Amino acid sequence: MLSLRRPASAGRLLAQSVRRLYEKFSAENTREARGLRLLRDWVTPAQWNQLETLGYFEVVGCDTGKRYRIYRGRMTNIYEIDEFGCLREGWCFVPFGFLAAGDVMLAQKIALETSESAALAVANRFLPRRLVSRDRGHAW
Amino acid sequence: MPTQIVMDHTGDSRTYFDAKDVQARANAEARFKKLVARGFTAAVRTQAGEVTRVTAFDPNAEETLFFPRLVGG
Repeated sequence: MLSLRRPASAGRLLAQSVRRLYEKFSAENTREARGLRLLRDWVTPAQWNQLETLGYFEVVGCDTGKRYRIYRGRMTNIYEIDEFGCLREGWCFVPFGFLAAGDVMLAQKIALETSESAALAVANRFLPRRLVSRDRGHAW
Repeated sequence: MPTQIVMDHTGDSRTYFDAKDVQARANAEARFKKLVARGFTAAVRTQAGEVTRVTAFDPNAEETLFFPRLVGG
């Protein structure tokens, strides 16, 4: 006689698959993940590659032509760099509100590339510090 | 389909509209003006991947991104 009941192992596998799918969806749908996806879509491939491999990406200011390095993070993560690639001074400005890190970095990039002077006018300056530790890894 | 992307505490909120639909386009333009009046910066991407800041509504822009006003950190 045929049994219509699904074997217990099949049910367990199905439950595990559903749970994994739910966990994957949850992980990809967090605000941080969404912010990073938005950032990835809006930066150039070269900038995204820099961010993934070095923990920062570089932009060129639209008004002065100066180069800036935007590190992973939300605050005190922008450094002006000189022609030798050395960090000069830090600039801190953020979009108002508690945004995901990806969103913050994207807003900083767009601001420097399209309205550098206005962005720096509201920014606070800071001296570069913890340079060694920041260059060694990702600082979120 | 043209999309308006607004950065917010959830990551971002997206609104799609049909550029051929007069009412939808008017709503999108009103949304654009409201956000800019609140201090949001609007930006679009060009075909070449460059990002430009815009101050007027462009119904043909594939994606318009809005982020809140900047403050010193």
